[in-house]
Amino acid sequence: MRGALHAAIALALATALGGCAALRPKPAWELPPPPVAEGPVVPQERLHRTTLENGLELVVLEDHGLPRLEIGLLLRRGAEIESPDEAGAVALMADVMERGAGARDALALARAVEEIGADLGVSAGMDSVSVELSGLSADAGLLFDLLADVALRPRFDSREVARARAETLAGFEQEKDNPSALLGRQLAATLYDGHRYGLSVSGAPGPVARLDAAALRAVHERLFVASNAIFYAVGDLSEQEAVAQVRARFGAWAAGAPPPPGPPPPGPTPPARRVVLVDRPDLGQAQLALAHEGIARTDELRIPVSLMNTILGGGGFLSRLMSRVRADEGLAYGIGSGFALRRHPGPFVVSTSTRAPEAGRVVGIVLEELERLRREAPSRDELRNARSLSAGRFVLGLETSAAIAGSLVELDVYGLPPDSLDTYRTRLNEVTLEEVHEAALRLLHPDRIAIFAVGPAELLRPQLEAFGPVEVVKP
Amino acid sequence: MPKSACLAALALLVAAAPLAARAKVDDPALRTRVTTLDNGLTILTLPDPTTPAVSFQMWVKVGSRDEARYTGLAHLFEHMMFRGTDRLPPESHERLIESRGGRVNAFTTADHTVYHADVAPDALPLVIELEAERLAHLHIDEATLASEREVVLEERRQRTEDQPTGRVFEALLNLSFMAHPYRVPVIGWRSDIEQVSVAVCRDFFDTYYAPNNIVVSISGAFDEEDAIARVRRAFGRLERVEPIPRNPTREPPQRGERRATVYFDVRSPILAATWHAPKSGHPDGEALDVASLVLSGGRSSRLYRGLVYEAQQALAAEGGYWELDDAGIFYAFAMVRPDGDIARVEKLFFAETDRLRDELVPEAELAKAKRQIEVSLLRGTATAHALGSRIARDWVSFGRIRPIEERLAAYRAVSAADVQRVARTYLRDEDRNVLHLVAPAAGVSLEEPAAPAPAAPPEGRQDPAPAPGDGR
Repeated sequence: MRGALHAAIALALATALGGCAALRPKPAWELPPPPVAEGPVVPQERLHRTTLENGLELVVLEDHGLPRLEIGLLLRRGAEIESPDEAGAVALMADVMERGAGARDALALARAVEEIGADLGVSAGMDSVSVELSGLSADAGLLFDLLADVALRPRFDSREVARARAETLAGFEQEKDNPSALLGRQLAATLYDGHRYGLSVSGAPGPVARLDAAALRAVHERLFVASNAIFYAVGDLSEQEAVAQVRARFGAWAAGAPPPPGPPPPGPTPPARRVVLVDRPDLGQAQLALAHEGIARTDELRIPVSLMNTILGGGGFLSRLMSRVRADEGLAYGIGSGFALRRHPGPFVVSTSTRAPEAGRVVGIVLEELERLRREAPSRDELRNARSLSAGRFVLGLETSAAIAGSLVELDVYGLPPDSLDTYRTRLNEVTLEEVHEAALRLLHPDRIAIFAVGPAELLRPQLEAFGPVEVVKP
Repeated sequence: MPKSACLAALALLVAAAPLAARAKVDDPALRTRVTTLDNGLTILTLPDPTTPAVSFQMWVKVGSRDEARYTGLAHLFEHMMFRGTDRLPPESHERLIESRGGRVNAFTTADHTVYHADVAPDALPLVIELEAERLAHLHIDEATLASEREVVLEERRQRTEDQPTGRVFEALLNLSFMAHPYRVPVIGWRSDIEQVSVAVCRDFFDTYYAPNNIVVSISGAFDEEDAIARVRRAFGRLERVEPIPRNPTREPPQRGERRATVYFDVRSPILAATWHAPKSGHPDGEALDVASLVLSGGRSSRLYRGLVYEAQQALAAEGGYWELDDAGIFYAFAMVRPDGDIARVEKLFFAETDRLRDELVPEAELAKAKRQIEVSLLRGTATAHALGSRIARDWVSFGRIRPIEERLAAYRAVSAADVQRVARTYLRDEDRNVLHLVAPAAGVSLEEPAAPAPAAPPEGRQDPAPAPGDGR
């Protein structure tokens, strides 16, 4: 406070005296960052929530700034409902839903959307599926019609299923050209073998090759029931009109029952250190990841954990990993860490890429930093910066109404309190250094972390052997 | 297509009246205030109290096209702008902004170098002072340059050398421009990055980072008078530099198709092609944009329909007009399916670009492409950052801010005959460049032959050892 007051007086004097050099204000960077502001971020006056008789929830966020409208339907389950031997059904269902609905076949649907300059996207995640459509508010009626057709009356023409399936299968092959895709697949397979998390949302060639129109219809029937859905409308549309539009098209939709969520993955993984190399002799870099199990989206520790992660590798140039690996050592263009927050604990991953001869050194530094965060609590400044960075990114991330609505429906998927956005910054401020340290002790396990590298195995093996038993796989 | 769907599509088309008839576009960019300081610095301010953020951007009119001897210098220098001043240690700039909750980054293109920070309104004074600090007192030494050089080489490996698409892009520009500096990748060639010295960096800084070569834009929640006064105070003492040297080389007319092959260990080959097109701001630009959308605006577009959907030979296919300040290209790109045939894809691919020359685009397709452009123009005003970028980019490239209404009118005026005319003018076979990226043929070795170690440059380090004195 004293610093700020001093600066304010200096500034006043400097202005009064016409910028006399001796009295020039202190540089702004010498002032400490202000404490994290708290308070609501959701514009309640523009937000309306309703639930239809069939259980369909509706969120409307009015914003008349631009003549635009974004609408969407979110289903509160995703690829998690599949067993590993039907993995990919939800993703392929989403793909084929864009290829014909209601009276329109694939081309007619694409034209109907594109003729009004709209964008349609059906996407599958592990925990949810979304059908989203954006365009001009002047086309509201048609946008609602198209969305209802795609969500409720997808055609699943067998010709389209065959095309989409062939593209997905070709995509699995093409992915092998991409080092980071190879890394992601190997990481999931090693950590979650036998569980749905062991494969990406798009599944795997074996099960996908067996999927047909009947299988996709069946999975669509399970997911698309009103009691499993939340509808949102954001933009240049009144609440009354939005509710009327939704009721007219979704009011008679059967309530049904949401499918049960997928089973949780087995506990700690991996049980012991291991090193997995995906051999790509032609690459100059090693794509690296260190990973083990993390936490669920709803974990009570999620705020201290996110601050701990910000300090470790989630906080840009303030993070310890970025400081050491990039700024100090020039070993990578970027390095980051994060927890995949899903219904059940997804992986905690540190990832980077470095020139292949330095892979061992980078892995060593990452392990040291994981140990250090366990050994001692971070400093007060680090916690303050992590809070400030988290709060700042949070506010910047909610600049548009679409972003606010997107965050609200995401909370709903996980059954988190609807006021979570408004209380978020208060919760950040409440976290103590001890809690951050406790989070590191409970959740970071460098002693049994799995180490992955995609690159020239011949060069990587001797560098990584010291960290654990090595296994080399072909892409 | 069944007849009923055809009729439905037609009905929709009739319903899709021009945008202007239904929605009045309130273009906030028209409220931009322009201030020019005595030293030539331009300040664009666009306050909007309804947003929680303010975006500060500094656009420097220098890009890879201005590099004289060391390719990649503009980009490497952008990195050095974060490595400390006489008073602030390396990375202070971004750490100070991040510790106040801001987002900060920079990027370099062939034409421009852009530094941007999005922050809460109370951090704007800090951002202005930090920006002026590094312009006035940038510190570059052997140690920071040595470690940053390694970072940039990692960036080059990650984004270009180990990525099939990165390799394609690099080789394609090189094939397309025989003379113009656009032939050089923005990140530069490895040899040059390895040998840039502190003296070379300083000279580049003194030459191009002059106030009369810089445009600052501030948009979002801020007090306009206060911000202009702060920029004036912080930047006003910088000295004008005259003249700013520009590279004179222009691309001579191409005299026949050029082809190249790049080997990479891929399952999915890539086909790419370019034609020379006019520079940014040319009156043919709108018709070329419309042609881009006809080719690749969604699942009903021609390249998707032809290559991905009907022939099932490609995983993705797109094309478009890419405009730069000095020249443009029209490009087309297809990722061939692992079970596909690149020769067949090429045939189908050029059949689609030829069709733009040979036939008039039907009215329905034209209207669809134009509507897609109209709607996307509106999206560019949704955030403080997007608005700040738009006004600054327009100012550095055109010396004015182009109103959305003016751009909409230009797109609406495009006729099917215009699209055909620009296709005939620019998409000529003799002006075409064709690139294939494929897995190496049997017996082809991509190992580099052993070469004698190059002599060490007079300054700088080449080994990947940690930079001395960096153990903060």
